[in-house]
Amino acid sequence: MAETHMTHVEIPGGAQLGVVPAATHSHLELLADMGRDFASNQDLEATLRRAVERITNYVDAEAGALFMLSPCGLKLQCDACIGPVEIGGLQIAADQGIVGFCVQRDTGRIVRDVANDPDFNASVDNETGFRTRSILCAPMSVKGEKIGAIELINKRGGDGLFDDNDLHLLQALSFSAALAVLNARMAAELVEQERVKRELELAAEIQRSLLPAQKESDFPVKGVNLPARVVSGDFYDFYPLNDGRVAFTLGDVSGKGMNAALMMAKSASLLRCLGKSIKEPGRLLTLVNEEICETATRGMFVTLVHGVYDPESGHVRLANAGHEPPLVVDREGNFRAIEAEAPPLGISPALLDEDGFPETEFNLDGGRLFVFTDGVTEGYTADGVELGIDGLKAMISEAAPGGVQGILDRVRASIGGEGRTLRDDVTLLAIDDGTAVHTNSVPKGAAEPGATDAPGEKIFQLRVTAKANRLRLIRNAVRETASFCGFSETDTADIVLAVDEACQNVIRHAYGSEGEGDIAIEIRHRPDAMILTLRDFADPVDISKIKPRDLDDLRPGGLGTHLISEVMDEVDFLPPPIDGGNLLRLVKKIRS
Amino acid sequence: MQHKLSDAGDALIIAFSGDIDLQTSPDARKALLALVGKGKPILVDLSGVGYIDSSGVASLVECLQSAKKSGQKLALVSVSDGALRVLQLARLDRVFVICATIDDGVTAVSQ
Repeated sequence: MAETHMTHVEIPGGAQLGVVPAATHSHLELLADMGRDFASNQDLEATLRRAVERITNYVDAEAGALFMLSPCGLKLQCDACIGPVEIGGLQIAADQGIVGFCVQRDTGRIVRDVANDPDFNASVDNETGFRTRSILCAPMSVKGEKIGAIELINKRGGDGLFDDNDLHLLQALSFSAALAVLNARMAAELVEQERVKRELELAAEIQRSLLPAQKESDFPVKGVNLPARVVSGDFYDFYPLNDGRVAFTLGDVSGKGMNAALMMAKSASLLRCLGKSIKEPGRLLTLVNEEICETATRGMFVTLVHGVYDPESGHVRLANAGHEPPLVVDREGNFRAIEAEAPPLGISPALLDEDGFPETEFNLDGGRLFVFTDGVTEGYTADGVELGIDGLKAMISEAAPGGVQGILDRVRASIGGEGRTLRDDVTLLAIDDGTAVHTNSVPKGAAEPGATDAPGEKIFQLRVTAKANRLRLIRNAVRETASFCGFSETDTADIVLAVDEACQNVIRHAYGSEGEGDIAIEIRHRPDAMILTLRDFADPVDISKIKPRDLDDLRPGGLGTHLISEVMDEVDFLPPPIDGGNLLRLVKKIRS
Repeated sequence: MQHKLSDAGDALIIAFSGDIDLQTSPDARKALLALVGKGKPILVDLSGVGYIDSSGVASLVECLQSAKKSGQKLALVSVSDGALRVLQLARLDRVFVICATIDDGVTAVSQ
């Protein structure tokens, strides 16, 4: 409370009240009483009303009113009043009248005759019929923070005039009231802060529940997530698929804080839910990208790696949407980075061609795969140095004997050690193929129709020697199967032609001559399509050299591939199986 | 796959029946090329062909080119729906003269 503002008396918490000799004892008693009332009562409004009532009676005024300054500072509102006229709720401009004067100048005032005072505002009297003669007013403020004022009107006893004693008392009381109001406000703020903090902790708890539970120690996939704040924009996940493979995801939402955390929750949930039925990473990311683009907040995006690992074969199939390149470490300790070939999720659904997010396939072959966020490589080690990609590689190599759990622990201790502040969320996921026993060298999923949502029901399977005289058998079987699936006669004939031509290519081009190996045909039926996969066991064919025939060129031969692409809705050479051979997938849509 | 040869006076007719596929197209090709150099126009009757694949179509194209070189005309007659579909898919339906009946074919190659 600045001295210049105190024209009549200085009240630092009422300590100098002792300088006022008269009626000191009962004044102090009243103030102490009210102080207790303020301190012990939760209902501030009722306490203030009681205080106004007591001071009005004590000073023997005709009326009393307490005005509070609105949060915007432009209005004064009567929050409590005593006297013949009810003015509760009355609002005046913050600089209007004697009250406004006292609040704005942070000073107390005695007006013995309002008729002679230019600051007096007669509008209330005019409206109510009350006649104001004299006014005593003291501001409510703490350390210059304006809160309001208490005003007493028309002293009844004696000469009918307020004196300095009255003012001293009112100022002391106003100060206590101001403190009480301020305390109440701070308490409310604390409660609010506590509520927000509690909500944040609940959010973090839910986030942690979105991370996968640690599996048994020999489970090949492990992860760690250290949030830089209470909540995290990073996430990782892994879960077994019904075919024995394990799906894994690691993502990083742009930004930090609650919005990133909510986006993380959405992305993680979408991927987990859809990833159990859509086992093709590229296809899955395409769908999730569309969904995020449709609903995401502008400017938010997610970099992400999603893949499927087969512990039986060591085969990994993954798609990288704008994320830090995952590291593969082979058994000899050599590193290889899997670069991102597509933009992050949430940027645009149109950036990609219709094939969706490109996939990378490789076999870990006893090696390890590490997927991580930049919080790892940009994290500070104990020496205050950024870990960096080389630091991470060194750590992976050094801690290698301790298994991937040992490596994760090492990274956690190095960047996120006790009492350290993280620059960014730190998330790391590792797959250890070194402990797996490979019982199957044929990758699962590769023979499944990749560009479709569900594999469909397998309704036909045939494996025959790749010889020309088996083609008729194949044609008849395929004709019956296509007919069973409900295709028209023309479509059935087309499908038969395509399969026949594809088998010819196998006999003539893949094997080079007759009877060198087998052809395996599998047909799956979905309500919307028939999916045929053809597999041979020859050396891989250079797909880039297989092109539909140039129609201007009428030389015989080379026509088969053109016919296949002409009649089928989708023709895809799938990545070659690990144990050699070629896979061709043909899709024919069923038109209703 | 079988084939039957006949002489209609103004043209030689070769009628195929059955499937012309990778297994049988070498025989079909041999039979077609045997007619090249015989002087008369060639009519290929495909009414009995339920299935023809790219190797069968290739045999027809080869025969057409050889016949042209030796100054013989060639027409396809009574082409079954299945065979016509494959010719259409291969965009060869405009390369070949295709006639509905043998008589139409005889008229076409006699001009």
